[in-house]
Amino acid sequence: MLKHLYDTDCVTWSPQGKLFQVEYAMEAVKQGSICLGLKSNENVVLCSLKRQPSELAGYQEKQFKIDDHMAIAIAGLTADARVLCKYMRTECLEYKYTYESHHPVGRLVFKVAEKSQHKTQSGAKRPYGVGLLVAGIDPNGVHLFETCPSGNYYEYKCQAIGSRSQAARTYFESWFHLFEKSTLEQLILHGLSAIKKAIMEDEELNEKNVEVGILGKNLKFTHLNAQELRDYITKLEQFSPNSQIQQE
Amino acid sequence: MIFNSEFSGQQQHTTQPIVTGGSVIALAYKGGVVVGADTLCSYGSMADFKNVEKIAQVSKNTIYVSSGEFSDFQQVVRELAKIDRSALQYDDGVHPSPRDYGNYLARLSYKRRCKINPLYLQNVIAGFHNGERYLGLVDIYGTYLESNFVTTGFASYFCKAIISNYWNENCTLDQAKQVIRECFKVLFCRDCRAHDVIQLAYVDEQGTHIEQPERVETKWDFSGFKNRANEKLHTQ
Repeated sequence: MLKHLYDTDCVTWSPQGKLFQVEYAMEAVKQGSICLGLKSNENVVLCSLKRQPSELAGYQEKQFKIDDHMAIAIAGLTADARVLCKYMRTECLEYKYTYESHHPVGRLVFKVAEKSQHKTQSGAKRPYGVGLLVAGIDPNGVHLFETCPSGNYYEYKCQAIGSRSQAARTYFESWFHLFEKSTLEQLILHGLSAIKKAIMEDEELNEKNVEVGILGKNLKFTHLNAQELRDYITKLEQFSPNSQIQQE
Repeated sequence: MIFNSEFSGQQQHTTQPIVTGGSVIALAYKGGVVVGADTLCSYGSMADFKNVEKIAQVSKNTIYVSSGEFSDFQQVVRELAKIDRSALQYDDGVHPSPRDYGNYLARLSYKRRCKINPLYLQNVIAGFHNGERYLGLVDIYGTYLESNFVTTGFASYFCKAIISNYWNENCTLDQAKQVIRECFKVLFCRDCRAHDVIQLAYVDEQGTHIEQPERVETKWDFSGFKNRANEKLHTQ
C-alpha cells in the first residue's frame, strides 16, 4: 500500500497531509482495553476493564492517582503511561510545594499535551503510545480530559477509549443528558452499564476485572474496593437509565 | 563599606538596607481586607522620597506592600507580576489566588535567607478570593503567617494595642480605615522614620481599590506649645 512509503518516521508527511507514525501510535491506544470516564456537576467517575495476561497473572491496573484532586485512566502502552504518570505527579508535587494549592487540571493536561507533541516532531523520537483520560477537580469546576499521542487534548462530558469503546460511546450518546444532575451512585452505575456494553459475550463483569475510581468536590480520589464493586455490580441488574428519568 | 569589593567581582550579600519604606498595617473587615502604608522612602534618616505610592496590585484581587529595602520591594513586585502574566499563556482563565502569591513569596524569601542574601523586607499580601478574605505576612526569614490583622516594622510595637482596642474582624470598612489612620497618627508621633501622608487600599468582592494618598490629622496647636508656659527661659 502507498501508506508504507511515508511512514518510516515522524518527520515525514504523506501527500494527504498525515503523519503516519502518529496515526499508528493512536492505533496502539485503540488496542488497549477499554476505559471510560463521565462527570456530573459534583463528581467524576473513571471505569476501566482490567486485562489479565494469563491465568497465572494478576490484572493490570489502569487507573493511577496523580494527586488528591486528580487521577488518570490509561489505554495503550503501560510503560509509556508510567512515564506520563510520573511526570504529572512530579508537576503536582512541585506546584503544591510552591503554592500550597492544587495544580489546575487543564493546565497539567496542557503540559502533558506539549510533552506529547514534542515527541512527534523529531527524527529520533517516537510518540507516546498511550491515551489518558484525566479526571480532576479544581476551582474552575469538574473536568474530564482526553489526551492523545498526537499531542491534542479535548475536554469531555463523558468519553471512552480503547478496544470496543464505540459501544460505550453509543451508550453515552443516548444517556449523557442525565449525567449532569446524577448522584455519585447513579454515575457509577452508568459507567458500569457502559462498560458492560463493551465486554465480549463470554466475559462478565466482576470485582477482579473492573476498576472504578471516584473523585468529588469534597471527595479525594479513591478506588472502590472489592466489596463495593460486588455491590455495585449486583445493583447493575436493577439499574436502568429510564428509572432515573422517572425519578426526576 | 559595602562598596569595597565592587570591582573585585565578588557577589555582595545584603547586609543593610539603604532606601527603606515605613510600616505597613493591614486589617480584615467584614467583606474584605484593607491595607495602609505611608508614602515615604527614607535614605537612612533622611526623608528623601515623600510621595511614593507603594501599594502594588499584583493581580485582579491581590495587593502587595512591604516595609524594608525599597529596591527589593520593586523586584518582588516584578516577580509576582511575572507569575500573573505567565498564567495567561495557558488560556484557561485560571489565575493564582492571593494565598498562592503568599506561599510563593514565603518560599522565595526562605530561599534567599538560606543563601544569607535576604530580600530585606517584611511583606504583606492581601486579597479576596472565592468569597474569602486573605491576609498574609512574610518576614525577612521566610516565616509565613496568615491572620486577620498584620503589621510590620514599628507598627508591630506601637499599634497592636490600638488595633486590639478598636478593631474586630467584622467591623465595617470605614471603621477599619479609621483604626489604620489612628495607628499612623501614633506612628508619625513616635517613629522617627514615619510620615504623615498615607495611602489606603482595600480588596473586596468587586476587586481592588487603591485610594489617593491622604494626610493624617495631626495636632500641634496644644496650648503648652503655643503659650510655652512651661518653658524655663535661661537668663544670664
